[in-house]
Order: sequence, then C-alpha cells, then structure tokens
Amino acid sequence: MEPIRYVDALNNKYGAMGFPPYQWSENDTAPWTALEKPLSACTVAILVSGGISHCAAVPFNPDARNDHRVDAIDPDAPSDQYQIHDSYYDHADADRDLNCIFPVDRLAELAAGGEISAVAARHWSGFMGRTYNRSKVMNESGPAFVEQLKADGVDLLVAIPA
Amino acid sequence: MGLVARVVEDMGIPTVTVSTGRDITALVRPPRSLFVNHPMGNTFGRAGDRALQKEILRAALDLAVTATEPGVLVDLPHRWDEDFVFFTGEATAEARERQLKK
Repeated sequence: MEPIRYVDALNNKYGAMGFPPYQWSENDTAPWTALEKPLSACTVAILVSGGISHCAAVPFNPDARNDHRVDAIDPDAPSDQYQIHDSYYDHADADRDLNCIFPVDRLAELAAGGEISAVAARHWSGFMGRTYNRSKVMNESGPAFVEQLKADGVDLLVAIPA
Repeated sequence: MGLVARVVEDMGIPTVTVSTGRDITALVRPPRSLFVNHPMGNTFGRAGDRALQKEILRAALDLAVTATEPGVLVDLPHRWDEDFVFFTGEATAEARERQLKK
C-alpha cells in the first residue's frame, strides 16, 4: 500500500481539536557526521518520542504543546515496566511489547552477540510532538540532550519518531 | 524528532532515524532515515515478533554504516501484512475485540 500522508491527516485531526496549523520544518539539506567506527565498536543509544515513561515516573501528557521533556531510560529496567501516554498512534501492541516501538531488548541482544560494542548507559524518551517553538529545540533542549549523549560516549543514536 | 536528529548530528554524533511517516521525514530530512511502511506504533513489527524487530533494528544500524549522502531516505522493502489507515484514536473493531478478550 502507499504510505499514509501524515502531514494532511495530522493537521486535519489536530486542527479539529483546536490546535493551530502545524508547519513542519522543510529542509533541502541535512547535517552529516560520518560513522568512523565499525558497528562492533559502537556504543548505541535509542531516543523515542512515543510518550513512553517508566512506571515510577510521571506519565507524559499526550495533549501537551511545546513539551521539551526528555527522560533518561535505564537500559537494564525490565521492558514491561513502562507506560505509554500518547494519542498520536495506536500503542496497543507496544503496551504489550515495548520493542514494537522502542526495541531496547533487541538492541541488548545485538550487544550480547557482539554486533555492537555496547548499549549506552542511558536510553531516552521525549521530544513529544506539537513542538511549535522549534528554535528552542535547535538552541536549548536539543544541544542539552546532545551533551548527555556525549557524557555517555554514544557513537550512534537511533531516533524513533512516533 | 527529525529536528532533534539534525541537532545531534550537527554536534558530532551520527544518527539514524527509523520512521513510519514517509512524507514528514522527507520534509524534515534527518541525516539518515529508514522508512518502514508499518502502522505508527509498530515501527519494528508486532508484539512478540522478535525476529522482525531485530531485522528492522539491524537494517537501521546497517544504514548508519552504508549511507554516504546526507538526508538519505531508504525504503525498507518489508511490507505490513494488511492495509492500515491513519490512526484517529477511535477504537478499531480489532482493538475492541482484543479488549473484550482481556
């Protein structure tokens, strides 16, 4: 089947809920940092934006606007100890198996098998949608997040929008 | 999220984005993207399908190694086994049935 056209669908849905029209960033070019190591030498972290929080933490607010919250996720916490609060997508499967959207167990298996060097000390969940103040992502919350990745010696980030 | 990937990459850490929204990703243009034509929420497959989850994660990691062009968007050939629609938050017949079984 043809991919769903989310730009129109999301604007129709959230427009009807009273959200202002959302203008996605449009870029003709992209920044680039070459991966200098083989995967087997890489420390890998995952960032997911699907409203996933540890059960001991405050739930994400699915209706928030401009929520720059990003939680550090302990890679060793059992993957059935998470809650998902997000109305953008159907997380019925992910509620039963976090790996549908946030494949922490699969990444741990790749590390155990030597395909990557290590899972980073922290994974990340945050940067939910409806971010209208994008300059804050570019200049504040984004760079602050990168400093955390650097502190953990992350060689490669897998980013999973939801 | 694509915007965050761009900031991370710009500050010196390579990224690979695994997306189920092809049109959004094409606009925002993260540095490297793997498009998976699955329902949003099932990027890596269904609950319990460990083999497919791992296959897609591997494909993403491999893209970080093989990609050479900034902004590259690769379509994963794997197909979802049934047609799906934009999620509106209204329970589908299937979801209701699942709920009844619980």
